[in-house]
Amino acid sequence: MRIRVDTELCQGHGRCYMLAPDLFEADDDGYSQPTAERPVPSELADQARRAFMNCPEDAVILTEETS
Amino acid sequence: MTDAAPDSHYTLERPEEAVDPQSIYRDLRDNTPVVQLSGRSTTGTLTISRHEDVMTALRTPELFSSDSSAVQIGNTRPLVPLQVDPPHHSKHRKALDPLFAPKQMVKYEPRVRELIRELIDEVADNGHCNFHNDIAEPLPSTIFVELLGLPVSRVDEFLALKDGIIRPPARSLEERYEMVKATGQKIYAVLEEVVEARMAERQDDFLSTIIDAKVDGQPLSRDDVVDIGYLFFLAGLDTVSASLDCIVAYLAQNPDHRQRVADDPAIIPHAIEELLRYESPVPIVPRITTADTEMSGCPIAEGSRITVLLGSANTDERVWDNPNQVDFDRESNKHLGFGGGVHRCLGSHLARMELRVALEEWHDRVPDYRLADGLELRYSPGIRQVDNLELVW
Repeated sequence: MRIRVDTELCQGHGRCYMLAPDLFEADDDGYSQPTAERPVPSELADQARRAFMNCPEDAVILTEETS
Repeated sequence: MTDAAPDSHYTLERPEEAVDPQSIYRDLRDNTPVVQLSGRSTTGTLTISRHEDVMTALRTPELFSSDSSAVQIGNTRPLVPLQVDPPHHSKHRKALDPLFAPKQMVKYEPRVRELIRELIDEVADNGHCNFHNDIAEPLPSTIFVELLGLPVSRVDEFLALKDGIIRPPARSLEERYEMVKATGQKIYAVLEEVVEARMAERQDDFLSTIIDAKVDGQPLSRDDVVDIGYLFFLAGLDTVSASLDCIVAYLAQNPDHRQRVADDPAIIPHAIEELLRYESPVPIVPRITTADTEMSGCPIAEGSRITVLLGSANTDERVWDNPNQVDFDRESNKHLGFGGGVHRCLGSHLARMELRVALEEWHDRVPDYRLADGLELRYSPGIRQVDNLELVW
C-alpha cells in the first residue's frame, strides 16, 4: 500500500492528520504533510484507509499493491 | 435567464423548516436538484442540493465565483479572502492560514478551557440553564473578540451588530437591505477605530499580526486589514455558537449519544465531525456564476446567484450510507460542514478546538441533561442557532 496527498486538491481540512496521526501532520499553515508518495507500513494500514475515506476533497491518494 | 429551473414552495427561511431541514434537503435533491426557492432572500437565486453539484460549485471557483455580488451582508468592499477569487485569493489566504493553523490553536486552548469553566460555574448548581445564552454565545464570541483584538467590554454591542447582519428583523427585502447596509457601516466604524489604534501601536492580537503581514512582499492596505476584520467579525461571532447549539440540542434529545460522550471523552472529536455533518450548522454558502453552465440537466445562466446547500450534500444518500443516522463510528465521513475547495473555512481548526473543549468540560460537569419539559426548539433559518435551548439536569 502506498499513500500520497494531491497538493492541488488538499485544502487543509485536517481530517487526515486527525485520523492518521502516525502518517500525517499539520504544517505551519494547517495543510497536510508529508505529501510525497511513500509506502505505508503494514501496522499503519488502518490509519491510511481512514485518511483516504475521510478526506472531503479526495486529496488522499491510496494505492493498494496487488502483488 | 433561469426559466428552466422550477419553483419550489420551500423557502428555507421559515422557522418550522429550520427544525428538520434534512427532509427538505432530501425532497429537493430527489425532485428539484436545481430550484428557485420562494423565500425573500432566496428570490432570484438557484439552490443546488446534490453532493456532486455542490462539490462542482466549491471546486470550480472560476465558474462559481465567491465574489461579493453573491450575497448581501452589509459590506461595501469585498470581504478578504472569502469574496476574492483565485489567483488573488490564494495570496491573502496564504498570509492568514498560519494564524488559524492547528499549532496556533494549541496555544489558545488553556484560555478557552478557563473561560468555559467560568461559564459552567455560573450555572452548574442551578439544575437548569439556557445553553445558548449562558454558554454557546458567550464562549466563542469572547474568545474571538480577545483573539482579534477588539475591546472585550463591548462584546454585547458586537453581538448585536452581527445579528443585525445575519438576522435582521426586517419585514421586506428592501427593509432588510437598508438595515444590513446601516449595520455594515457601524461595523466598518468599529474596525476603522481599532485598526487605527493598532497601526499606531501593535498588540498581541490578530489585527496587529495582519497589519504586519506581507502579501507579495508588500504590507496589506488599511482597507484590506479592515475587510479581513469584517469577515472575521461575521464569521467569528456566530458560527461556533450555532454549532455548539446544534450539537448540544442533538445530544439533549438523544440520551444514548449523550451518554457515550459523557462516558468517553475520546469520542468527542468524532461526535463533533459527525454532528457537523448531520446538523450542518452553517448549511449554505453563496456563489455567483461567471458563465452559462448547467447542473443536473438544468441550464444555469451567467450571473445567476447560487445557494449551495452544504447541509444537503452532507446528507445525500447518493454518497452516504444511512445519511440520517448519526453514527460517531462512521468509517467514512467526508463532510462539508466547513465548506470545501479554496474557501474552506479559515477558522475551522479554531472552531474544532472550541467545540471539543466546550463539550469536554460541559460533560465533565453536567453529564446528564435533557431539554426542559414541553420545549419546542427554535432553530434559526440560515446559520442554525437555537436561542431557546433550555436544558435541565
